[in-house]
Amino acid sequence: MRRIAIITCLLLIAGSAAAGKNVDLVTLPSRDSVQLTIYNSEDITLVKETRSVTLKRGMNKLQFSWANTLIDPTSVFIRPLERKDDIEIVDTVFPGQKPQHLIWNIESQFEGQVKMEVTYFTSGLTWSMDYVAITDPDETQMTFDGYVRVFNNSGEEYDNAEVRLIVGTINLVEKIADLARRRGIAVPRPDTRVYGRMRLEATAGAIDKAMAMADSGEAAPPEIVKEGLSEYFMFSVSGRETIPDGWSKRMQAVDSDDVSFDIVYRMRDYQYGWRPVRFFIWANDDEHSLGESPLPDGRVNLFRDNGADGLSFLASEYIRYVPIKADIEINLGPDDLVVYETRKMSVERFNFHFYRDSHGREHVDGWDGKSGWVDTIRNYRTEPFTFELRRIWDGDVEYASEVETTLFDYRTTETVFAIDARTKVEYPAAVLQHCGVNTKQSAVKLKP
Amino acid sequence: MKTRIIIAIALIAALVPAGAVVGRIKLAALPARERVEVQLDNAFYTLVEEERIVPLLKSTPATGNNMIDFSWSNATIDKDSIQFRPIAISSGDGFRPIEMVNVGGKEVPEVNVINVAYPPNENALVWEVYVAEACAVKVRVSYLISNLTRSFSYRALADHDEEFLTLRNYIRLTNYSGEEFGDSGVWAGFGPKFHKELGQQEDIKMLLHKFAQVPIDKTFTFDWYAHGPLNADKPLASKVLMHYELTNDEANGMGLFPLQPGKVRIFIDDGRGGEAFLGEDWAQLTPLDDEMKLYLGEARDVVCTRTIDFNQRHNVRGDLFDQEIVIKYEIENFKDKPATLRIVEQLNRLGREYWGNTHGDVQWERGPRTTDNFTVDMELGGPTPTLLVELPARPDDPDAKVEKVVVLFHVTLKNLWP
Repeated sequence: MRRIAIITCLLLIAGSAAAGKNVDLVTLPSRDSVQLTIYNSEDITLVKETRSVTLKRGMNKLQFSWANTLIDPTSVFIRPLERKDDIEIVDTVFPGQKPQHLIWNIESQFEGQVKMEVTYFTSGLTWSMDYVAITDPDETQMTFDGYVRVFNNSGEEYDNAEVRLIVGTINLVEKIADLARRRGIAVPRPDTRVYGRMRLEATAGAIDKAMAMADSGEAAPPEIVKEGLSEYFMFSVSGRETIPDGWSKRMQAVDSDDVSFDIVYRMRDYQYGWRPVRFFIWANDDEHSLGESPLPDGRVNLFRDNGADGLSFLASEYIRYVPIKADIEINLGPDDLVVYETRKMSVERFNFHFYRDSHGREHVDGWDGKSGWVDTIRNYRTEPFTFELRRIWDGDVEYASEVETTLFDYRTTETVFAIDARTKVEYPAAVLQHCGVNTKQSAVKLKP
Repeated sequence: MKTRIIIAIALIAALVPAGAVVGRIKLAALPARERVEVQLDNAFYTLVEEERIVPLLKSTPATGNNMIDFSWSNATIDKDSIQFRPIAISSGDGFRPIEMVNVGGKEVPEVNVINVAYPPNENALVWEVYVAEACAVKVRVSYLISNLTRSFSYRALADHDEEFLTLRNYIRLTNYSGEEFGDSGVWAGFGPKFHKELGQQEDIKMLLHKFAQVPIDKTFTFDWYAHGPLNADKPLASKVLMHYELTNDEANGMGLFPLQPGKVRIFIDDGRGGEAFLGEDWAQLTPLDDEMKLYLGEARDVVCTRTIDFNQRHNVRGDLFDQEIVIKYEIENFKDKPATLRIVEQLNRLGREYWGNTHGDVQWERGPRTTDNFTVDMELGGPTPTLLVELPARPDDPDAKVEKVVVLFHVTLKNLWP
């Protein structure tokens, strides 16, 4: 049931603003249009609606009420879209005895119907993004589709609304839902039975309405237009959408075919555990048939066409906001067909340092330890891939290997291998660690 | 049992004014599943794909689009994972691909999903689908479902001489998802594809592969620091553990796919046409070319004692010293077959037991008193050498005693200090 109402009270007696008995005409103007601008970083939606209101010359009262919705009263604003020079919003009154409504006193030099715009912040309308990627059987290319899903838990139904979605993080000093509860009768908190009952009432019959509303016979999904807006990105859903209270609706926003991607294995025991993990990596750019807009946070469900008229499920991972030209990485987890082993093959100690105690006895207080390591990577897959190995070494370490190795940071060695299909690669390394008083620093130094 | 996942097509046959109270479903069909595939290749998620033939009406401004309800109860379906894909259109006796049509100057598929709506407080969703002409459409609905899981198990049968093993690898499908799927294709990502009736609360165990004539090594392992003294009567002896070891590679009749973790029940041909149960073990994930080691139990017929036969400190400088040790192993094989004993010597533990802090892995070298009746396998890495000792079978002569094989491992732990 619609809960937001505007009541026009035309006062016949000029100057008498207090008494309700002076009202001789009341109209209930319906919305002409509604635009929802929904932010995903905060629970805030800017609602902009237009209504046609009939004004008389002189002082008019316009009552706006929002029972059982999550509107921030401090944000409600009205302005005329026509006859702007003839219409003045004199003041806004929040009657103490009538919670969740306000009265605008409007001075008009014009008599007749005018279009007014009412804007306000509400809570409970949110949106999210999710993605579906399906690779070909050889795992060389994928289709990558993104969907926006708009949730309406605001307590209000917005029929045929224009929907705009804002990607980005905004700053709010107070939560809209808190502001909505602060004045007048508080909206029950979501975890209460009263709130649940209220929602049930609000959604009763909603499915029927949704069925009716959806009967537009549209042949194509709504187009999602993406454009930059300051530091934000705005997704505008073409056409009008009806989202009954309590419902959510999912629409396609990204549709990309032939997206190429790289397969990379990473071995970082401090980050991913003791087995190498498999990544699919591509970029949000033209080269990868993407890059039209940033990709908002969302879950990616990754499938593979299994070549047998079906899909295999590969991974489900939440990605953070991906700017244009930034990389997208999906961790598929360990792969039973790729094996990594590391073995310490030898230990040697030398370069001892001694301190002399008061009795003239010498004690070891510094030494160097050299250990020989052999790492083995086995690929049982039929495709080559890149393997990235990172290892953390504590202390004062000199690291030498015949395989090109770089430093990722002061204590982490990094080696990148191109592993051919069905091959085994061995990676020998000699690690010299200065211990005790021989320790001069805490860092890894690469030796030729 | 009643099917719990339902697809209903709701066709609004007449123009309905917005906001009017209308019946939700004017006409509903419940298309049966034509095909179900259960994909178990992901260890953590089970993907169900079902195909249905859905009759759809032509979309017009008067009738609107087709609304397809998908609802479920008592089944744990990940709502966000549900995919709906029109695949083909019925044509004659078969199906044809979905083609593009021009609608209002725009090229769109003749069957096109417009959006998905999710009603509140229901396990359901509604797809709005545009259809250019009335037709029957083959659609594929896929979703992730909980409590439809897989596990693996093995049955190993050793021949009487314990030289070969027949290893049967089973997959067990456990369906407590709340849904029954009828005749379904089941695939684990490797091995054969099965077609099974998947009833609710049913377990189905299927043979994934039978590996015949797999060569095995029966190994005996002695690890003093892992198990300690055998008992108070034999304080110098320790457990000797028995394993079957097999290699998951083509040369050994395997190597088709990584062997998944699971319980292995081990039997042996008793030589009289029957089988005897030897025990069971948990198999670890065994990648290709790796060894699967199956624990059989303790060997009572291979006895090994360990003593420190020599222990001498050599000062180097200050408190730095080398520790020269001779470890003596005395081994008896009471079996009627030769055996190889693996002696795992944990030199780090040895160093810590006798001389305190080893300051990391010990540095060591072999000494001249080491006997030549064993080989050293470095498979466990630097400070944990494994000694391989060949043991003769017990003599057939009733008067002959079992040979006591004496192994000396002369080792110097280098550069120790307190």
